[in-house]
Amino acid sequence: MTEFVFRLPDLAEGLEDAEIVEWRVKEGDRVELNQLLGEVQTSKAAVEIPSPRRGLVKTLHALPGDLVRVGEPLVTFEVEDSQPGVVGRVPQEAKPARRVHLRIRRD
Amino acid sequence: MAQLTLVQALNEALRHELREDPRTLVFGEDVGRLGGVFRVTDGLQEEFGERRVFDTPLAESAIVGSAIGLALAGWRPVCEIQFDGFSYPALDQVITNLAKYRGRTRGRAALPVTIRIPSGGGIGGPEHHGESPETYYAHTAGLKVVAPSGPAEGYQLLRAAIRDPDPVIFLEPKSRYWTKEEVDAAAAGRLGQARIVREGTHATLIAWGAMTARCLQAAEAAAEDGVELEVVDCRSLVPLDVDTLSASVRKTGRAVVVHEAPLTAGFGAEISARLMETIFRDLKAPVLRVTGYDIPYPAAAVEAAYLPDLDRILTAVQKVLDY
Repeated sequence: MTEFVFRLPDLAEGLEDAEIVEWRVKEGDRVELNQLLGEVQTSKAAVEIPSPRRGLVKTLHALPGDLVRVGEPLVTFEVEDSQPGVVGRVPQEAKPARRVHLRIRRD
Repeated sequence: MAQLTLVQALNEALRHELREDPRTLVFGEDVGRLGGVFRVTDGLQEEFGERRVFDTPLAESAIVGSAIGLALAGWRPVCEIQFDGFSYPALDQVITNLAKYRGRTRGRAALPVTIRIPSGGGIGGPEHHGESPETYYAHTAGLKVVAPSGPAEGYQLLRAAIRDPDPVIFLEPKSRYWTKEEVDAAAAGRLGQARIVREGTHATLIAWGAMTARCLQAAEAAAEDGVELEVVDCRSLVPLDVDTLSASVRKTGRAVVVHEAPLTAGFGAEISARLMETIFRDLKAPVLRVTGYDIPYPAAAVEAAYLPDLDRILTAVQKVLDY
């Protein structure tokens, strides 16, 4: 397991900060990739925040009503070391099956 | 020593070289803010800033072209091509300029460029995401071609590739990205050396990248049947460590080369020819190849039937034992 800190991204051109409107998850929750984490209000619009990772929500760094600056920590996740990439899946490491058995000729 | 996945080991190697040499640059599609589609460059932009770790447009030819220009200006570029199948738009720059600069300038301008390419199949990717392009690069004189098999090799060989004064194509086996292994972060590798990963007496399996692990599984299965297979990981295809390969096959007398790429003109043909040229009289059977089929890389649903499996490897072993 490793920690992953999700920082408030620049949600619009030149944005400086955003206000937390609500969280849809709480600390200790398991979340999937792209699951809705909550909603923030920027100077331009209300924006829903999808989760950038699959994992465990360890820390929510702000409460509803708090102002978070771009680049500051928003959520810390605990994530598996084996996260699939953007494309494809993690191959399974199970012992592979075989039908062929070897024979040594002794002559 | 630490237990690291291949992704983490490569990340550590990049971090190490970025720290040690301020001329090292990392760039490519999504390597900066996102940290790479497989997270190999995770956290590097945060630590080293946007001037040393940066995102590029979706234009592979421009990525390699920029790397050539930056190398000429004294930088050490490490660029990422996001997937094997997207490395082809950059072939023009690679073949026409990158590989030729040292010769063109009679040795005055070597280009210390490393091109990282996640390669091979086995992760259920769509078209263009499962190819094994090593032969294109190995056939282009002026390039080194490195293909690590796991975390420890990946860490050491990537550091050696970045420090190499010439262009290195670094093929990362993406189906092994999540394998964990002890990695000695103090050890720097050397390019051009194969490694015996399992000793045996009856026959030698030769592989690189993801197929090294498959060959080790085949050797374990063979041992249950009383057959001891030696497994050699080439690690580097160019330069190829013919001495280690031929010494192993001289001992066992039999060899099977295993790779994911299609059979025809695959790198297994080169290895087979080298063995024939160097130890013809010691061979007790023809060198056989177990490879992907001569078809475009298939859809994810049937890739397991395309990739060499234990039965195909063991069948070839039986053939060289019976010859």
